[in-house]
Amino acid sequence: MTSMMRSSALSLAMGYVALGLAALVLFAAPLWYAWQVTIQEGRTEYLQIDAQRLTEVYHREGADALKSFIDTRVGMQIPGERILLLTDASLQPLAGNLHAWPAGVPATPGNYKVNLGLGDRGIQEALVHVTNLGNYTLLVGRDNALFKPLQTRFWYGLAAAVAVLCIAGLFVGIITRRALMSRVYSIRQTVSAIIHGDLKHRLPTHVNDDELNTLSRTINGMLDQIELLVHGVRNVSNSIAHDLRTPLAELRSRLEELSLIRPSTDETYAEIDGAVADVDRVIRIFDALLRLAEIDAGMRRSGFVSLDVSDLAANAVEFYEPAAELKSIDLTFRSNGPLPVSGDPVLLAQALSNLIDNALKYAPQHGSIEVAVQKHGATAEISVSDNGPGIDELEKAKVVQRFYRGDASRGTPGVGLGLSLVQAVAKLHGSSLELRDNGPGLRAVLILAAEESGSLLRETAQTQPSPADGIAPSTLASLP
Amino acid sequence: MKILLVEDNERVTQFVVKGLQEAGHTTDHAGNGRDGMFLAASEPYDVIIMDRMLPGGIDGLAIIEVLRKAGKRTPILILSALSEVDDRIRGLRSGGDDYLTKPFAFGELLARLDALHRRAEGVNHETPLVVGDLHMDPLTRKVTRGDRPIALQPREFKLLEYLMRHADQVVTRTMLLENVWDYHFDPQTNVVDVHISKLRQKIDAEFERPLLRTVRNAGYTVTAGE
Repeated sequence: MTSMMRSSALSLAMGYVALGLAALVLFAAPLWYAWQVTIQEGRTEYLQIDAQRLTEVYHREGADALKSFIDTRVGMQIPGERILLLTDASLQPLAGNLHAWPAGVPATPGNYKVNLGLGDRGIQEALVHVTNLGNYTLLVGRDNALFKPLQTRFWYGLAAAVAVLCIAGLFVGIITRRALMSRVYSIRQTVSAIIHGDLKHRLPTHVNDDELNTLSRTINGMLDQIELLVHGVRNVSNSIAHDLRTPLAELRSRLEELSLIRPSTDETYAEIDGAVADVDRVIRIFDALLRLAEIDAGMRRSGFVSLDVSDLAANAVEFYEPAAELKSIDLTFRSNGPLPVSGDPVLLAQALSNLIDNALKYAPQHGSIEVAVQKHGATAEISVSDNGPGIDELEKAKVVQRFYRGDASRGTPGVGLGLSLVQAVAKLHGSSLELRDNGPGLRAVLILAAEESGSLLRETAQTQPSPADGIAPSTLASLP
Repeated sequence: MKILLVEDNERVTQFVVKGLQEAGHTTDHAGNGRDGMFLAASEPYDVIIMDRMLPGGIDGLAIIEVLRKAGKRTPILILSALSEVDDRIRGLRSGGDDYLTKPFAFGELLARLDALHRRAEGVNHETPLVVGDLHMDPLTRKVTRGDRPIALQPREFKLLEYLMRHADQVVTRTMLLENVWDYHFDPQTNVVDVHISKLRQKIDAEFERPLLRTVRNAGYTVTAGE
């Protein structure tokens, strides 16, 4: 019952009932007033006409004629219909249907409302009109009770309307509540299933777009996202565990072997160096993960400045040039001049460097890689194309997952976080990473929102401190 | 160099003090914030290594802020396990000169301390740089070895300039990435090594005595010594 009282549907219905009652009262009160006034006036007029007629009789035919006229009329009428009384100057009854001058009614002419207290004739309250006729006083009255049934009917009608309103309100409230409860119940059931770990459930939705349905849809969208994230986290923790196991296992066996075999000093040092390299690999994985987490949390959006992607790409190409030469790969750069975007220079440089690094890994000896910066309407496209094996259509969605390493990457260095970092950087910039077919090879395209060129040169100059004046924080301990 | 190490972890302290000693530096150690503050304010040090989270009620950044307000300009390297960008920014804003995250390679720490010390002593950007018979004039951008001119690409020039400004010191790959390319991330592959070997081709290949040497487990150094 308490839950009934607290039901929002019910209280809403009750609110409407209260509103309906208020409207009813507001409607009935003036009506009642107008009615009362009209009746009062009508009755007063009626009595006056009555008195007038009797006065005419008195003037025309004299007091005795009036007495007999009154007696005749009293004799003819239904008891209680009309009150008539003719008295002499000392208010002693001469004719009529009252035994005495009623107490509380003055003998002066006028209209009075009075309680006659004539219980035996059913007369309680009456409206009377008093007229003076020479030495006589005439009282004409009418029982108010005649109108009582009408008033009672009015009140009954009003009460019935109130009752209907209340009952209908309660009924509608309960029905609405029940309908609402059944939908809320199904939502609650789904949600509690989700709380208990089964993220596959979704809220039921209908075709029509009412408030609850819209809410359900929104919640379903949220659940999709949560499921994706949880799935991602689960995958990532599995992969981390797996990826950390390998270097840690190597490290362990290396150290155990050292302690067992106790080789010569030189060999021992070589083994220790190997152990340090193992540890560095673990640190590298952690650093990459921390960086990803940092980007995911969107914490770096504060570092956005206006920068020239063309310049950024040119620098990256220059940076990788010697590495490409070493593999006899033709690394080329194509750009149509400065192209300003708003972004984090460090992250964009890292993303681009990851893409070029990837291309260098997969392009064959004597292969070619092209880095191009192009403006396409409102977007700035940075593409890195190679003529390596490319990525299978089925694998494209997987390669951006954390720790995923394609079949082609077995045996190459790396921890499988490269493309997911690029993806995360793209997401942070509100843009996307597209993996297209270069036939043969892969064409990775980073699509950013281009900025209208303006104060570009000054700002990029600020974001790139010259090496002489800044020792900036490092990301990683340098590895041997 | 006289170095103050403010660090509460015993293993790290032992490791750093021993390493610095072997590198020929004298080191004072404070195990909590109060002692660290006292030593830093009263003794003259060349460089201070400051941990961020310290026992004793005063944390590393607060000490740095107090020292800077008191007018102490000793170069300070912040050593911390807090590695996020915001943490670094806070560290450098409070008055630190460099930021190194734990875990770190000792070579990296040593190289950064040397660089900080050298920087504090003042760098003249106009005087020619000389290492053995290798000459570099930053103004005319001419490089010669012996009497033979060496043609360098702009980036190679920048790389060599940085190495020569830190002659006889070890320069790590991270330092090179940050200062020559302005790359504040780890590019995974050994691209820096490739750049170094290209530079080596130009300055050392035809000479008997190599000047640009690899320091195992640490980085590179340009030196005319043995």
